[in-house]
Amino acid sequence: MENYFDVLSALILFSSFVLVANKRIISYIRTFQLQACLIALTAGIMGMNSFLKEGKIDILVVCAIILILKVYYIPRLLRKTYAGVEYKVEKDFFLNIPILIFICCFLVLFAYFSVPTIGGTMAGNVNIQVVNSFSLVLIGFFFMISRKKAIGQIVGFLVIENGIFITAMFSTHGMPFIVDVGVFIDLITAVLIMGIMVTRINDQFETIDINQLKNLRG
Amino acid sequence: MAIVIYIALQLVVMILLAPLVNGIIKKVKALTQKRRGAPVLQMYFDLYKLLNKSSVVSQVTSWIFIATPYIIVSSALTAALLVPVTTFASPIAFPFDIIMLVYVLALGRFFMGLAALDAGGTFGGMGSSREAMISSLIEPSLLVSIFTIGLASQSTSINDIMLAMQSVSLPLLRPAFTLTFFALFIILIAETSRIPVDDPSTHLELTMVHEAMVLEYSGRQLALMELGAAIKQLVLITLIINVFLPHDQFIAYAGIGGLMLSLLVYLIKVIGFSVLIAVFEASTVKFRFFSIPNLAALSFILAFLGFLQYFVLGR
Repeated sequence: MENYFDVLSALILFSSFVLVANKRIISYIRTFQLQACLIALTAGIMGMNSFLKEGKIDILVVCAIILILKVYYIPRLLRKTYAGVEYKVEKDFFLNIPILIFICCFLVLFAYFSVPTIGGTMAGNVNIQVVNSFSLVLIGFFFMISRKKAIGQIVGFLVIENGIFITAMFSTHGMPFIVDVGVFIDLITAVLIMGIMVTRINDQFETIDINQLKNLRG
Repeated sequence: MAIVIYIALQLVVMILLAPLVNGIIKKVKALTQKRRGAPVLQMYFDLYKLLNKSSVVSQVTSWIFIATPYIIVSSALTAALLVPVTTFASPIAFPFDIIMLVYVLALGRFFMGLAALDAGGTFGGMGSSREAMISSLIEPSLLVSIFTIGLASQSTSINDIMLAMQSVSLPLLRPAFTLTFFALFIILIAETSRIPVDDPSTHLELTMVHEAMVLEYSGRQLALMELGAAIKQLVLITLIINVFLPHDQFIAYAGIGGLMLSLLVYLIKVIGFSVLIAVFEASTVKFRFFSIPNLAALSFILAFLGFLQYFVLGR
């Protein structure tokens, strides 16, 4: 069972690298969808496990929520927002892609050396699943600061959220149901607000390039 | 005696099977495009036809141009001897032969680049500079993947690595091996000049890499170049499938029966893997040439993450 989780955590980490390597907004929305599928699969396996052992269904419910929310609803919302934006220049990153990927590689190394120093019951242990999922959080942050477009930053935020969720999953094997649902409600509110803001920014400045927000408009 | 049997087996299987892989890939690609496609055995007919034709050699070329087809075929065959198709025959194995494999293949590529420059055509120079760039981008991830599987099986000899992987249950469910497998898959695609990197079926001047380098060759020499490329492809496929999807541990028979059964399973695996390559090739588009570093960086990251996972998990 742990084998599956090891492989899945490695694949989820790799999907975030693919996300960083993507050039077009449409393709990183698709990669985000793929990552959400992998996370739903992880939650599904974990949920089946706890259902068969303890008869609890709450992780399965969480899995269903992920499928509806992250695999279907949020990508659709992002695509719709993107379709509504007029100014579509595809290249939107500050550094070139190989450099971005190598910086992310150093983030993984950083996570590898910093996770064992976290106190608590796991202190001193390197749990590869936690390392992988914690790197996902850092890569999400980095993705956010490396993209110029507002939609890229929303995707970065979602990756951070994925990372936090999957870290919690791997370190506790299922949080209390109410916490998960609270996080999801938080997430959907954030994405809705940011989607509206992208549209507003676009109306106001005729572009969603955040570099141009520095210019004054009278 | 055992060595002689091994060499004969290895050469016969590799030379006879290599054109078939190309045939299957072309057939599956044609089927995905709703065409009937050339017969699966088309490449054998092509090679036979080319071998019976005389070749035209430009007057400005030097000995390199003449020697290159033979160097390419012999380097590909040397590589073929290093990667056993089955672990039942007693193989030629010595420490570090996996690194020798990498550089024997690199030797062929080096002479191919020189020969492309030799004829003085503009396409040849373009093709060889592109090939040099691609191979130098791919080499780090190839070596890191090789070191990962070498570390995991405590050996640098291909036969020992294959034997060690047979004792691992379900290698593709170990994160280190999963990531290394995908890294090697990208390397295979780049080394055999398949679609995201180069298009094997085109003669469009601006995009071709491998085709540009063999452009000056004709007749028997062209047949040798094509055969060398096909054997190199089969060597890499064999390396991947026999390391990551080993099958010899399931075969209970010993002796000649076991050998035959093992070869049969190997054949099925090669066909399956060719179909996988064809489906991958049909479902992607060719990258812009300056996007290839991104692909190479991804492949390097896969290899590196695999290495890291191996180090942390220790298995």
